[in-house]
Amino acid sequence: MTRSRYLALALLFTVGCGAGGAGCVIGCPGPPPRTEATTPRKMRFAIIPKALDIPVFNYAKLGAERAAREYGDVEVLWNAPASADQLKQKEILESYITQRVDGIAISSLNGEFLTDTINRAIDQGIPVTTWDSDAPSSKRIAFYGVDDRASGRIMGEQTIKLLNGKGKVAIITSLGATNLQNRLEGVKEGLAQAPGIQIVETYDIKEDIIRTAEIIATGTRRYPDLAAWISVGGWPVFTRNALDAVDPAKTKVISFDTVSPALDLLRANKVQVLLGQKYFGWGSESVRLLRDLKNGKKPASPIIDSGVDVVTKDNVDQYELQWKKMAGQ
Amino acid sequence: MRKLWHLRELSTVAILLIEILFFGWYLWPDGNRPHPFLNLPNALLILKYSSIYGIAAVGAAIVIISGGIDLAPGAVIALAGVVCGGLFVEAGWPLGAAMAAGLLMGVASGVLTSVLIVAVQLPPFIASLGVMGIARGAAFIITEGRYFDLSALLVGGWRPMGIPADWVAPIVMILLAVVFQILMTRFQWGRSVFAIGGNETAALFSGIAVGPVKTSVYVLSGLLAAVAGVVLAVVQGQGKADLATGYELDIIASAVVGGASLSGGRGSVMGAVLGTLIFGVLRNALPQIPGATFYDRLIVGLVVIVIVVADQLLLRRSSTS
Repeated sequence: MTRSRYLALALLFTVGCGAGGAGCVIGCPGPPPRTEATTPRKMRFAIIPKALDIPVFNYAKLGAERAAREYGDVEVLWNAPASADQLKQKEILESYITQRVDGIAISSLNGEFLTDTINRAIDQGIPVTTWDSDAPSSKRIAFYGVDDRASGRIMGEQTIKLLNGKGKVAIITSLGATNLQNRLEGVKEGLAQAPGIQIVETYDIKEDIIRTAEIIATGTRRYPDLAAWISVGGWPVFTRNALDAVDPAKTKVISFDTVSPALDLLRANKVQVLLGQKYFGWGSESVRLLRDLKNGKKPASPIIDSGVDVVTKDNVDQYELQWKKMAGQ
Repeated sequence: MRKLWHLRELSTVAILLIEILFFGWYLWPDGNRPHPFLNLPNALLILKYSSIYGIAAVGAAIVIISGGIDLAPGAVIALAGVVCGGLFVEAGWPLGAAMAAGLLMGVASGVLTSVLIVAVQLPPFIASLGVMGIARGAAFIITEGRYFDLSALLVGGWRPMGIPADWVAPIVMILLAVVFQILMTRFQWGRSVFAIGGNETAALFSGIAVGPVKTSVYVLSGLLAAVAGVVLAVVQGQGKADLATGYELDIIASAVVGGASLSGGRGSVMGAVLGTLIFGVLRNALPQIPGATFYDRLIVGLVVIVIVVADQLLLRRSSTS
């Protein structure tokens, strides 16, 4: 019996070597990393998205890595929980504080939950900025992203325009994240301008793309006279079949996010309005902000509004062209 | 010395040490940088976050040794934290009373699980799956998507008896591990748990009160998950319904890596806690390898499979020889 545990030790060692191998496969020169004394030390910036399984954040990663390449003196450390998990995100943040990285940029799953930890990083001299989703009560130096309430209002106004000011609408959100809550409130403010519009339901899809398809199907059956679905996140347009139950002749769809296959869905008239964020900018601007801070340059304002792109069938081709340029395709 | 090496916990310690040595070597810093992994604050960080799993893994190990399974700990962690947070923040209860109420939620969920298993005779997997849904659902009903911000009322952080909050969870985990290790190895109750897990019918015929022992096992599992939840809420400053989602599998995996057999009758409380540390080190160190972010889950999965398969293969070999 005990012998088995010792064999396990040997096998674990093998796996450990596998971990080293993985490091090599993905570009690490091999253990332990060494650099010549003359090589100037790169600044190590930790960029933490909400989760690794949310497609839009891949573009932030591309943006951050491109900026790091352009500057030449920055190394990007990209890490997040595999799926949205506030405690694991906090653990990752704390881990980077103990590693004494040169700067941290984070998209908060729960801003209040991270406030004390962000403050601790700042107190220890590590500059922290937020992107996409803010932690407004913390001492973070700057936030880069959309004004969520304003972009929610834009969604509301676009809905009014599409429905000529009347009809039943259902909203899709995911409870918990501060930015989504603000966006939701913005949508409600925007819709309030048209008394003929009635919100029949607000659904919590718990950041689950599969659940979104199910909710859209059941909601469409439950409200056959539904005039529009409004989604404050990109879940309905992250897959090609989430909107299968929706008849575009009867029900319009207004959704956040423009990541593939969203633009194809727009062209197929499955969705009528998309709001695009500055996905690449989340990464590249975070790197720029942290680098500026390390060089003693503070941003003019702690809130840097990235703005949103309103994409419809009229400007989708132009938008896609610009996108491909940014992605280096 | 030979006897000492027969302690199964020692082999788990050895796995942990190899892991630490490997990452200590692999992550050796260049130039004058401090070591990113081998430093005291990082060790405390690993302990702090592993403790949430570790406290619940004590209960999970006991359940697994008894031949059962409990899928509810993740949900009970959330429910206990929400109840504690809600009563403290919204109802204005004293912190101690709110914490006790959170713990009672764990006891209640454990009682419900044990009634379903012992009295209704449901398989533990089904019973605890149901209780998991009930506990998570109750937490969402209480919060309605909000969260309870305990940190706003615990200005300057929670320092019981002057102990920094970050140390509380590791201390609780170590104390519980020691107490339950002794209970499981030196007391009749612990030996009964092993006997039931090894062969329930034989245990019954040898005069062991199977029903009450199994009840105690599931109540303890619920209580210990609630301890993790209350500690999480107070140390991290929030009670929230979606915290610890999916943690039950990590908790069970820790117990298994620590030597517990899912067929029952075999395992160790101390091993389970060490199992959580094995995962804690992997969770902390793997992302520090440049570009390894997308590989760490694969490697964690490999570690679980390698350790357990090796254990199974050699167990079979030793039982045939």
